[in-house]
Amino acid sequence: MKYILMMTGKKSDFEGYASWSKADLQANVSFMRAFSKELKDSGVFVSTEGLGWPSEAKLVRAGKNGEPITDGVFPESKEFLAGYWIIDVESPDQAYEVAARASQAPGPGGKPANMPIEVRPVLSGHADLGL
Amino acid sequence: MKYILLMSSARTGVESYHAWSKQDIEAHMAALQSIHKDLTASGEFVATQGLTGPSEAKVVRGEKNGVPVTDGIFPESKEFLLGYWIVDVANAGRAYAIAGRISAAPGPGGKPTNMPIEVRQFASHESNSE
Repeated sequence: MKYILMMTGKKSDFEGYASWSKADLQANVSFMRAFSKELKDSGVFVSTEGLGWPSEAKLVRAGKNGEPITDGVFPESKEFLAGYWIIDVESPDQAYEVAARASQAPGPGGKPANMPIEVRPVLSGHADLGL
Repeated sequence: MKYILLMSSARTGVESYHAWSKQDIEAHMAALQSIHKDLTASGEFVATQGLTGPSEAKVVRGEKNGVPVTDGIFPESKEFLLGYWIVDVANAGRAYAIAGRISAAPGPGGKPTNMPIEVRQFASHESNSE
């Protein structure tokens, strides 16, 4: 069963992250690298990506002739995806355990950031939606 | 340059989708399949994935000992990711054009859904797909 683990934050969280000390950032990145390696070694790793910042995000809609209309104005409350992992595991509980580890990545002062991680089953096909 | 196109909606949007007629769903899927085919042919396709509904979503935090604490209660306003496309394109304008096509996919009665698609560039230094 494939699950996606999503780490999200509001604009203020991203701004807060930008003010972390260099040592704190390095500890966080080291954790993420070790975490990826551990997922690969245990055979559950599918993919992971980090995304660019909210300032570079655009919202796109189709105009009358299908031309893209872009908008970059988001409410302060908007949750942005910071990055994700896709894993292939045996059970939801295993996915939650992996998510809990990601949640414990060190933050300022080396303390676990305790970030909430959204865990969602990935669709294997549209049949999963009952269509 | 790799971009991710994110299609999201609050719970009400997901619930209304389940009320679409079979014909409307088929027309919508046909449009998405046609976009998929074009992206594959142009060599811009990287990945796409749909996710299951909000009822199966959990938010997890690690407790002190790394014990996962799950929570499935979300505010009505919470935006859920429905699915995404990852494309590898020459420039941002091309990513917006593809997002525009997705937004123009037909909804109820064959009218474009006009859903907003969030377009985000990958942080290349963290790129780690296999």
